[in-house]
Amino acid sequence: MKTHLWLLFLKMTLKILLGELMKTIKKDKIAKLLDFLADKYELFAPTSKDGLVVSFERIEEGKQAKLRFYNSNEAPKKLFFPQSETLFSYSKGERETVPEPKTEQQRIIFGLKPCDTKSLSLLDKVFDTTDFKDPYYTQKRVNTIIFTLACNRPQSSCFCTALGLGPFLKEGADVFVVDLDDKYLFEPITQKGEDLLKEIPGLEEAAEKDISYSKELADGTEAKITTKIQLDRLKEKLDEIFDESVWDEIHQKCLGCGVCTYLCPTCHCFDIVDEQVNDKGKRIRIWDSCMYPAFTLEASGHNPKPTGKERMRQRIMHKFNYFVETYDEIACVGCGRCLRNCPACMDITKVIEQINNLK
Amino acid sequence: MKNPYLPIPVRLNKVTLENESKDLKTFDLAFVNPQDAKAFKFVAGQFAMISINGIGEAPFGIASSPMNGAVLQFTVKRYPRGVLTTALHNLSVGQVLGLRGPFGNGYPVKELESKNILVVGGGFALTTLRSLANYVLHKKNRTKFGKLTMFVAARNPGEMLYKEDLEEWSKRGDIEVIQTIDNPVEGWKGKVGYAAPVLKELAPCPENTYAVVCGPAIMIKTCLFVLFEMGFPSERIVNSLEMKMKCGIGKCGRCNIGSKYVCMDGPVFTHKQLQELSGEY
Amino acid sequence: MMDLQTKLREEAKRLLEEKKVDVIIGYEDGSMALRTTPCFVKDPRDVERLVWNALCENNLAKYLIGRTDKAAVIAKGCDVRSIVVLINEKQLEKENIIIIGMPCAGIIDRKKIYAYLGGADVKQANIENGIINVKGDGFEEKLNVHDFLHDSCLACRYRNPVFCDILVGEEIPEVEPKDEYGKIDQLEEKSSKERWQYFNKELSKCVRCYACRQACPLCYCKTCFVDQSFPTWFGKSTDISDTFSFHLVRALHMTGRCVDCGACVRACPNNIDLRMLTKKIEKDIKELFDSEAGLSIGENTPLASFSEDDPQDFIG
Repeated sequence: MKTHLWLLFLKMTLKILLGELMKTIKKDKIAKLLDFLADKYELFAPTSKDGLVVSFERIEEGKQAKLRFYNSNEAPKKLFFPQSETLFSYSKGERETVPEPKTEQQRIIFGLKPCDTKSLSLLDKVFDTTDFKDPYYTQKRVNTIIFTLACNRPQSSCFCTALGLGPFLKEGADVFVVDLDDKYLFEPITQKGEDLLKEIPGLEEAAEKDISYSKELADGTEAKITTKIQLDRLKEKLDEIFDESVWDEIHQKCLGCGVCTYLCPTCHCFDIVDEQVNDKGKRIRIWDSCMYPAFTLEASGHNPKPTGKERMRQRIMHKFNYFVETYDEIACVGCGRCLRNCPACMDITKVIEQINNLK
Repeated sequence: MKNPYLPIPVRLNKVTLENESKDLKTFDLAFVNPQDAKAFKFVAGQFAMISINGIGEAPFGIASSPMNGAVLQFTVKRYPRGVLTTALHNLSVGQVLGLRGPFGNGYPVKELESKNILVVGGGFALTTLRSLANYVLHKKNRTKFGKLTMFVAARNPGEMLYKEDLEEWSKRGDIEVIQTIDNPVEGWKGKVGYAAPVLKELAPCPENTYAVVCGPAIMIKTCLFVLFEMGFPSERIVNSLEMKMKCGIGKCGRCNIGSKYVCMDGPVFTHKQLQELSGEY
Repeated sequence: MMDLQTKLREEAKRLLEEKKVDVIIGYEDGSMALRTTPCFVKDPRDVERLVWNALCENNLAKYLIGRTDKAAVIAKGCDVRSIVVLINEKQLEKENIIIIGMPCAGIIDRKKIYAYLGGADVKQANIENGIINVKGDGFEEKLNVHDFLHDSCLACRYRNPVFCDILVGEEIPEVEPKDEYGKIDQLEEKSSKERWQYFNKELSKCVRCYACRQACPLCYCKTCFVDQSFPTWFGKSTDISDTFSFHLVRALHMTGRCVDCGACVRACPNNIDLRMLTKKIEKDIKELFDSEAGLSIGENTPLASFSEDDPQDFIG
């Protein structure tokens, strides 16, 4: 069985190297392509009501998609891990609890940026474990095909390359899409992606110049991201400075508002609450934040993280140390949402720089 | 695929008031469905998430022995600010609750085999220690372990937990029970004094012995000092921690100490492991 | 003639050198274009970090709460009023604070600039003589600062600090607000159904992050009503009725206290126009009680005080 998969993988790699599987479509035809996808699947794409704020929403028609954008305001994690999700419903007086119906509908997310696509692989490590699979998350993951759109125009607040990722990162995509100015290039990355591409009518074979232009764009775009973060020995440095007073300084302008955690594509903390009206109720999972004081507050009144200092330290340590310790990956994709939206303009890259510069 | 967020129904069969200040009750919970009872296998030291629909859910250490799976016992302290603990204390026999579990790593019973076990328990932290003791004492297991000593401390005789168990254990030849209370009380036959000085007096031998220590923070701190003085190495001192928990399965992100989740990598840690973590608990 | 920024740095340096305060809470350049960020200067040699310009938007009064040291805080007209309210509500000890008052003609709303530029990414910006120069990939524009002020600045009546220990520079002339209640009046004219629909739509954007509450200097409760669980007053999910309730109750808690500094709106990641609630309430308080929050030390808010000649024409 394994040999068969390996042969398949080799075959696909060869095909990709030979450009056989890559397809293109002219830009003026993309709306129709999306219409086709919307007919057969639940299609999610970047949309905007005011032309400025972009959000990934379900679309019925291709023309609703806004494909030229920096990034969505909210992270697309909400499509897999929504702000509020009912775990199960119950009726008072009845013994059995009724689990929420599972989503079986096949979904396509079109236009996810590489940073957000990568964030899903990081969330998988938390929600899709061997011992306890989170069915609400994994169901959605299994039933979703991802078209990752390469990022041609990173913002000045982006720093994916500083973390070893990049605007043309293909990891996690089923199909990798590149905007080649007058057309889109489609590259299947997984078998799921390849099978889907075969279904789509009107695709042309990618020409040699398309593929080389795509490479040119990749190199050019990566060079545009100038923020650098010193990563080697960062984890060790953080271990060493856990009890240092630098954390007093780092947290002092933080308002504890939690916007960073809510908009962060890799933040996954949640609360579970029961909400009931008369005799019917639901157990709901809702987003929570390690930056809130009540997050770790115990019924006895004891709080292991009593002030903003401990909570800020927790956030930084979790992303750049604890997650690394457990999964050997940094829990940050450099999307820049926390930088752009923090009311106090906290800059996580500057915090890391400050930590790195400590003697 | 089993949904780890769905509770299984358990019925409250019995409520036992454990102390004079009336804030500690033991609840006997029986599985409503026999297949759930059959499937529920746990190790002493593990916990379960108990919930009341419409109120909430919280982690409680399993106080009953793993050798008796049909009925689970939990001892719950009522906190004035605790929504769930207050609701639990107001429950009547026959009501149905939700249970998820078993979660956590439990005591290292395999490692404890052929060793002597010194259990040091204070206040109401005795819950999972009772599970451990009854597990060790079970006729199928007793010969696997060495000497078993239960050292229990409470403020006064009225606050002593599991009085019946302590009495029964005292009558047995295969377990030594030492009880101590803070101040002398007429009619009290056990020791008098705070846990740490009385423990020091007892001078437990560290050789081939594991110390399992649970209790209020100050008690743990002072007893640890005594144990170190006696020569107990930190890898043979075992603690069980408590933290606020919601999911119990390492996903909601709140019960971590460093990179370890108390609900998954704990709640049982050797003291050596704790020394390697930050003090954030 | 020294500009305000230089004067400010001088005052700050003097206060630190004379050990009048332990820390100066002010603004420094942010790490991105069009941003400043709160900074805490303890060493007189660091006063060069402090800036003063039309991007100094944060209400720094928030950082005074719970302090155990002596602090000087840079405060605009609105910020000063919120400090006055905090002092009147006994949350701050006046002797531990030195208010460095800044006359302010308005702060730039960078989201308005982004909108004007069609969502472009501004890589560089600098302000000189009332003109803000913004640059990005393929564009460079000179914009008039006064065309891009925050809505709360357009409604401002107190451009000069009503109270301060040190005034930096000279008072600027108070002007009639450019747009005090424009949007509020428009909404008031709509039918009850239309207003309900408006708020449902606007508040459905809320993700219950509570940034509005955290940014507001007057939200200082140890446990916010919405976080209480014993009893639970409102649900915590994004169910619209619970979200609606949170915002309504928070607005009610701000009644007679809110100084319309705009910190809540600026903090909201989803651009909810929270001022439609808070400014409306402020308008009502002015009309019903002829009162505005935070104008003088020692005054009480109308809802927290009783006097025999309170209006009572609504009592039958």
